[in-house]
Amino acid sequence: MSSSVDTSTSDAPASRRLAEFRQRPLLEALVRHGVDFVVIGAVAAIAQGYPLTTRDLDVTPAAEPGNVERLAAAIRDLDGKLRVTGGDPVPFPAEAAFLGNVQSWTLDTRGGDLDVLFEPAGTRGYDDLKTDAVDVDLGGGLVVAMASLRDVIRMKEAAGRPKDRAQLPALRQTLEVVRERERR
Amino acid sequence: MLSADLIREARLRSGITQAELGRRINRSQSQVARWERGAVTPSFETTLELIRACGLDLWYELAVYDDSYVEDVRRNLALSPAERLAEADELERGYEHLRRAGVAALG
Repeated sequence: MSSSVDTSTSDAPASRRLAEFRQRPLLEALVRHGVDFVVIGAVAAIAQGYPLTTRDLDVTPAAEPGNVERLAAAIRDLDGKLRVTGGDPVPFPAEAAFLGNVQSWTLDTRGGDLDVLFEPAGTRGYDDLKTDAVDVDLGGGLVVAMASLRDVIRMKEAAGRPKDRAQLPALRQTLEVVRERERR
Repeated sequence: MLSADLIREARLRSGITQAELGRRINRSQSQVARWERGAVTPSFETTLELIRACGLDLWYELAVYDDSYVEDVRRNLALSPAERLAEADELERGYEHLRRAGVAALG
């Protein structure tokens, strides 16, 4: 069951106006197409207080066929292409039968970089992550499910690559501060 | 990370239920649930036993205490989630600018 994350009015200085975050168009497209998904990775962590940065959006969609159809439609709508290191993006057939047969996709879209992982390391996919996910209100009517901090840590631990391990100290400290705040 | 989080993480990573983990160490499912909720804190030795029962291990070493991110996290928590993402994005765009400038400078 999803819980919600603190979305109370910001007490940041009113004079500071931040531009819109770059992942919003991608999230809006997924929501508009009715895709069931959980945001994972750095975006999920940042929304819950993690102090580092990222460029791309990582999501875990539900793997049931109807949802993969909706995901395929969203990717076509976003003009999604395969992201290639050091090269131009490559067009591909964003069809459900094709998408659903591969565990992960790294895409370049009109809305920015989108990584789709059906079964991230250390998890059993959408249903597993949804259990502890938090519903995050991003304003403007956009509410999305994001993996809990402890599940983001679980995935980073299980992935075990140097770039994942490098993020663990900040993730653990974020979890500790959030816990401390919840206890007050 | 608290022992409750470590036990939950190990169990979920190995894909077993609380009942199965309890069976492997001769404890009840409800005892495992209490440990995972943090209602009861197991000893370090029991935590290690639970993690190993999941087919994983806990490596440990003494390290210098580091809370260097704590103030940044507290500052972020004063923002809304959308503002946290926007601020991270603003920082990332700054880093991208620096990377491009660095690459250009290197010719």
